[in-house]
Amino acid sequence: MAVRTIEVRERVMARNDELAAAVRERLHRAGVVALNLVSSPGSGKTSLLERTLDQLGEELDIAVVTGDVQTQNDADRLARRTTRLVQAVVTGGACHLDALQVETALGSLDLERTRLLFIENVGNLVCPASWDLGEEAKVVVFSVTEGEDKPLKYPKMFQQSRYAVLNKIDLLPHLRFSVDEAVANARRVNPGLRFFFTSAVTGEGMDEWYGFLRQQVRAVATIPAT
Amino acid sequence: MHELSIALEVCRMAEERLEPEELPLLVSVGLEVGEEAGLEPASLQFCLEALLAAPPFSGARPVITQLPGDALRLAYLEVDDGRPDD
Repeated sequence: MAVRTIEVRERVMARNDELAAAVRERLHRAGVVALNLVSSPGSGKTSLLERTLDQLGEELDIAVVTGDVQTQNDADRLARRTTRLVQAVVTGGACHLDALQVETALGSLDLERTRLLFIENVGNLVCPASWDLGEEAKVVVFSVTEGEDKPLKYPKMFQQSRYAVLNKIDLLPHLRFSVDEAVANARRVNPGLRFFFTSAVTGEGMDEWYGFLRQQVRAVATIPAT
Repeated sequence: MHELSIALEVCRMAEERLEPEELPLLVSVGLEVGEEAGLEPASLQFCLEALLAAPPFSGARPVITQLPGDALRLAYLEVDDGRPDD
């Protein structure tokens, strides 16, 4: 045989992670906090962002990048709530955003005029967990219509996230859903997860979310640029 | 679910490491996939077989080794370049 073996032993995600590191550095230099919103489809990410833009869009100079498999529906909805460009990424079948797509999207945003960037990922509780986009943190959104065991079924997403938003709490009176059990399940896979309990429809719980976002932006503003 | 993305990246890595004339001579691609890597090995195998059957490749065989943990590595490339073994 004349077969030659070339040892590689390199992580397949290495290129994405290099790009993500470059995105993170670019955002850091521009003083922008980036949050990557991840969830299953229909958890209310876009509704949460609509309400957040209404309340804080101008105050925190919020920019948004949305990812969808098809359509720009989410970007169109959000564009009605802000004067800023909402950059849509249509993945054309891919089940997640990657760092290259975010890097490209940043080229369309005015980072000098941005302090908070939301990246609304493709609705999918599996694949986006594996892709670093250069964000400050992942925020997993799940809703009370989804069942308390979501964190146990999709542990990687809850492990990779620093924050969790339990959304649609206005529906709780109509459902057999235990908030305590959902939180306990999430903390079994990620004990450090910080929770927010919101209804993007009624506004319940949103003040704590807004306070958190203001605090995130303030924290970056006090770090001198390197 | 994102096995095709991973398979495309594996092919890109192979193309980066080999000379263009070596790509049709690639006979196997060794991958290490952790059980918690979020990938279905059979689906990844299918995607890689499909991509490696088309130019610039000519039917290299993906060899997936499953490991504990969440590793996802391109372990090796095997090229049959007709040269005698050293």
